[in-house]
Amino acid sequence: MTCDFCKKNIATIHLIRVQNDNVEKVNICSECARDFSFFSEEDFYKDLSNILAKIFQSDQDTTMLNRVQKSLVDLDVKNNKSCPFCGTDLKKIKKLGKMGCPHCYNEFRRILLPIIKTIHQDIEYRGKIPGTVPRQVKLEKSISDLRNRLKKEIFVENFEEAARIRDEIKQLEKNIYE
Amino acid sequence: MSEPGSGIPGGREGSSGSSSPEATIVLSSRASVSRNLSNYKFPASCSTEEKNHIINTIKNYARRTRGLSEFCFLRLSGMTKIRRQVLLGDYQIDEDFISNILGRGILLIPRHSVMEMATAVLLCWDDHIKIQSAAPHRAIGAVYSKVSEIEKLLESKLNFSFSKEWGYLTSNPAELGTALEISLLVHLPALSITPDIAEFIKNLSKVGCAVSGYDGRNAEVTGNIFRISSSRTLGKSEEEIVEEMNAICLNIVDEEEDARTRLLEKDMLGARDNVYRSYGLLKYASILSFEEALELLSILRLGLELGIIDNIKDFDYFEIINMIGDSHIISGYEMGEDATDDDIDLKRAEFIRDRILED
Repeated sequence: MTCDFCKKNIATIHLIRVQNDNVEKVNICSECARDFSFFSEEDFYKDLSNILAKIFQSDQDTTMLNRVQKSLVDLDVKNNKSCPFCGTDLKKIKKLGKMGCPHCYNEFRRILLPIIKTIHQDIEYRGKIPGTVPRQVKLEKSISDLRNRLKKEIFVENFEEAARIRDEIKQLEKNIYE
Repeated sequence: MSEPGSGIPGGREGSSGSSSPEATIVLSSRASVSRNLSNYKFPASCSTEEKNHIINTIKNYARRTRGLSEFCFLRLSGMTKIRRQVLLGDYQIDEDFISNILGRGILLIPRHSVMEMATAVLLCWDDHIKIQSAAPHRAIGAVYSKVSEIEKLLESKLNFSFSKEWGYLTSNPAELGTALEISLLVHLPALSITPDIAEFIKNLSKVGCAVSGYDGRNAEVTGNIFRISSSRTLGKSEEEIVEEMNAICLNIVDEEEDARTRLLEKDMLGARDNVYRSYGLLKYASILSFEEALELLSILRLGLELGIIDNIKDFDYFEIINMIGDSHIISGYEMGEDATDDDIDLKRAEFIRDRILED
């Protein structure tokens, strides 16, 4: 594999960074690595993980676990109320760190939203959809996924692909109302 | 490259043999998804009767479903303590599952050796259903496929609580979304002795992984084994999570291999000394605790890897640590309930000598 910087030498260091939905790979040869003023040769052989941290200075300091604990403490229980389905109230959710039933999510949506955002750093669901869900919901989900891809393609100025996605969205929207 | 059949990209898995460098670093892979039945309270809000009703509903559906007939059902309360503990080890279930045995059950596929895939459906733990599958070495695509296959079969009969905004609804808001967790047990003896290990763990947290010790809690690390788990369930699709954990896994293997190379270059004498000290203890100790055995076997495995020692039998670290836990020793040697710690430690030392020392 050739170096990403000089595109000439064989890369000897391969770094992979995964953050949210991005996987970034960096391949560097030893010559280019030396050009980075922030690491010495000593560093280079001794401390790969340090180098990783230096290249990918991350803006987020807190670890995942901390975030979960912290964010549940932040739950606002001033206007305490109970879920009509299971009877669990906000105080109990705060204490246990757990919801009472699936309906709680709907009941306490407004209060939970900022907390879920803090825990996950992303509130968009991008996983699969159960087979039992009505066709219209599936279509809506596909459309919202495509809209997100569209934004990304426009951001990287890949207009050809963006146009293709736009047409696909139009087609799906037509399907929904048929 | 993708694994045949799974349709999930992420590198060829499990083809490198159990004594390849990768196989001695990545001990095991595990995937799990949590699901709940809509219109039932989550287990923590249910009475034991309500939980038993949910368990029976799921069990009966499973029984009538083609493709799930190989599962057998067990109630935690109907098992002996030792049996429960053996089950935890064999199926890589977190200890918390048996903290409360009333109103909890398990569907599992029986298996015959430590090296086979271990698949189970845990009933009425934090969520109504947790489908999990574990297999030795790097097998992320394979265990995810298995979990996904079972989920599909259950989904055809059971109505899972799902919101189009937040995905699958779980009792813990931190698992909301795909409710998928991929975790790896990795053995990092060389990396662990360098000061870089702290930084290494910090970096894993930064990419959204949770790191803990062998037992899945945040306890002290024993035997240089770490459990590394994916923790994000919103904002990513299942395939992306699988792919990323595979990339992270390969990166970990690289780091440990580099640490081993540096160790050989820099401190051959120290490494040699350590390996032979461990060898001496394993060979002559009359009693060995589980923790001590883990530490010694870890160093011995590293010694084999680095070519420092060769007068012992080749062994699979993961296989052996799954056979020397207290409950496995007790049930394996058919010891009574009155067995003392010393009795167990004595048998453990014997067992290890049989497995490791040349005749």
